[in-house]
Amino acid sequence: METTSTSPAYLKRSARYYAFAKGAQPWIFNFLLIIVCLFMALPILGTMLTSVKRQVDVQRKPPLLLPCDTETRDFDVNACRFVLEGYDRVIDIKPNPDALFGFEMQGRMFSTYIPNTLLYAVSASLLVTLFAGMAGYALSRFNFRGRRALQLAILAITGVPLLTNLISLYQLGVALRKAFPGYEERIFLIIVYVGFGLPFSIWIVKAFFDTIPRELEEASFIDGCSPVQALFRIVAPLAAPGLTSAFLLSFVGVWNEFIAGYLLVSKNALKTAMFGLYDFIGQFVIGYQVLAAACILIALPVVILFLFARPVFFRAMVEGALKG
Amino acid sequence: MHSRRIRQTFLSRTLPFWLLLPSLLVLAVVQFYPGFYSIFLSTQDFQAGTMKFVGVQNFDKVFGSSSFSDSVWLTLMFLLGYALLTMVVSFTVALFLNRKLRLSGFYLTVIFIPWVLSDVIAGLVFRLFVVPDYGLLSPFFASPLFGSPDGISLLTTPPPSPLTEAIPFPPAPAMFLLIFASAWKAVPFITLLILAALQTVPKEVLESASMDGANGISSFRFITFPLVIPTLVVAMFNLTLGGINGVGMVFSLTSGGPGSATEVLSFLLYKLGFGQLEFGRAAALSVLMTIVNLVLILVALRISRSDSEGYKF
Repeated sequence: METTSTSPAYLKRSARYYAFAKGAQPWIFNFLLIIVCLFMALPILGTMLTSVKRQVDVQRKPPLLLPCDTETRDFDVNACRFVLEGYDRVIDIKPNPDALFGFEMQGRMFSTYIPNTLLYAVSASLLVTLFAGMAGYALSRFNFRGRRALQLAILAITGVPLLTNLISLYQLGVALRKAFPGYEERIFLIIVYVGFGLPFSIWIVKAFFDTIPRELEEASFIDGCSPVQALFRIVAPLAAPGLTSAFLLSFVGVWNEFIAGYLLVSKNALKTAMFGLYDFIGQFVIGYQVLAAACILIALPVVILFLFARPVFFRAMVEGALKG
Repeated sequence: MHSRRIRQTFLSRTLPFWLLLPSLLVLAVVQFYPGFYSIFLSTQDFQAGTMKFVGVQNFDKVFGSSSFSDSVWLTLMFLLGYALLTMVVSFTVALFLNRKLRLSGFYLTVIFIPWVLSDVIAGLVFRLFVVPDYGLLSPFFASPLFGSPDGISLLTTPPPSPLTEAIPFPPAPAMFLLIFASAWKAVPFITLLILAALQTVPKEVLESASMDGANGISSFRFITFPLVIPTLVVAMFNLTLGGINGVGMVFSLTSGGPGSATEVLSFLLYKLGFGQLEFGRAAALSVLMTIVNLVLILVALRISRSDSEGYKF
């Protein structure tokens, strides 16, 4: 009885309103999301902008958004002064006929810090992937005493941060350096990185192993495979996405790590890119464009890595966080 | 033949142990040993390489100091601002992205880039904007609303202005900026988590609800929201843990300053240990922080477990 009392005109109006709302909705949400994206990208865009300014334009009071002003006008496209001076000062390319490509990069960032970081990140991530693959397989496939407790312990230490262990690890490093004359600091740092990448990686890899049906291995056992052969020949290839994500996540983690790389190695020649940034924060030279360029150059490799391997990152992060 | 079979069965019986061994060794050195050594170190007076047992004196000194109690308050303020801002923004963005627009993947990628950056770089990026006089945002921060314009100089740590000293929060631009920058860095991951949860909400349920006359708001209120609550809890714990322990951003953005306006616990730990070389006291603080972390993790595990048993659809 209620419905008959509403007027047809009202119904028509509301139907038209809903049609309008439905048609307009995608535009509204696209618009809002573009604003969100701009907002997230703005700090990065601003840094890029700073990195291509000249020293004099960086040191203007009040600060200048675009280095495009002339004496008479605030903005003139033809007067824009964008330079690569900042990047040049970070990389510092000098021709050298003896070097591999006829030039060498004299800036310590590219001659020392980034190669160090690359070494630590690649070796730590390879070890993390190997160890996590083995441990994840054991936790996924075998039922042994203490398995649940071990799983819980590994899960619990995923949340223990590097920072609270750092005091002890620093002392351990000092003790090792005293005890062994030929002690290699880099190996210690890599082991520390492995230890901090492992718990989360074991967790991701185990989740991937759990999705692979056991029947595949059982069939291979019948065909005469040993469990180790089954792991490396049958299961590992199927778990490749999980292993890749463990590798990539720990690579990014080590690449971006600052404080352990700073404190656990004593020689500056063995320190990482994040430490190298502090070369550009001199007490007397204010080269903000150089600092900005260094930030961009250090971040670029992992950003590119992320852009190419997006789905792997997304899947691993969601699995790791929500299955935990 | 016979011995070969025995060897195989021995190997296959102990195989899980051998597979776990490398991981366990590394974890023992890097994770378990430091935990116990911190407990030992926290009871020692560590001076120029010699140690002396002092019982709980280190704990007394650390927890009795005003820098510790100030730091606890600053950490709580930081956590509150950081977690709330990140959750609200992430949830909103995740709801937008869940509309499944044609460009959703592109938007998510752009939004995600801050996550890939290192804490240190993210901190420096923001710091470059607020460098006194030269930073693009420095005129804005120089307004009287924010107190001292010299709040976060790149080169010097000026004394805190009377205003920021009297009211440490929110006028202190440094804490505001630290929260803002940390949230900027955390929004991508939390958005992804919430988006993943939103996408598991079964379509059929929402459709049948709208056929039964539920409008958008009430189906959100009674169907979507309850289903994503477990994820929100996980996200909340994630943020809290990251917020307590994150030191890279503090390091490069404010260095705990101006004065000690952003000296959160993680930075205090760093400062005690490696700035003042008070290893005993730093160890005492790290024991406390480890306990807080472990309690948070175990509570989080407990909650997510009981939920995963309750939610089966």
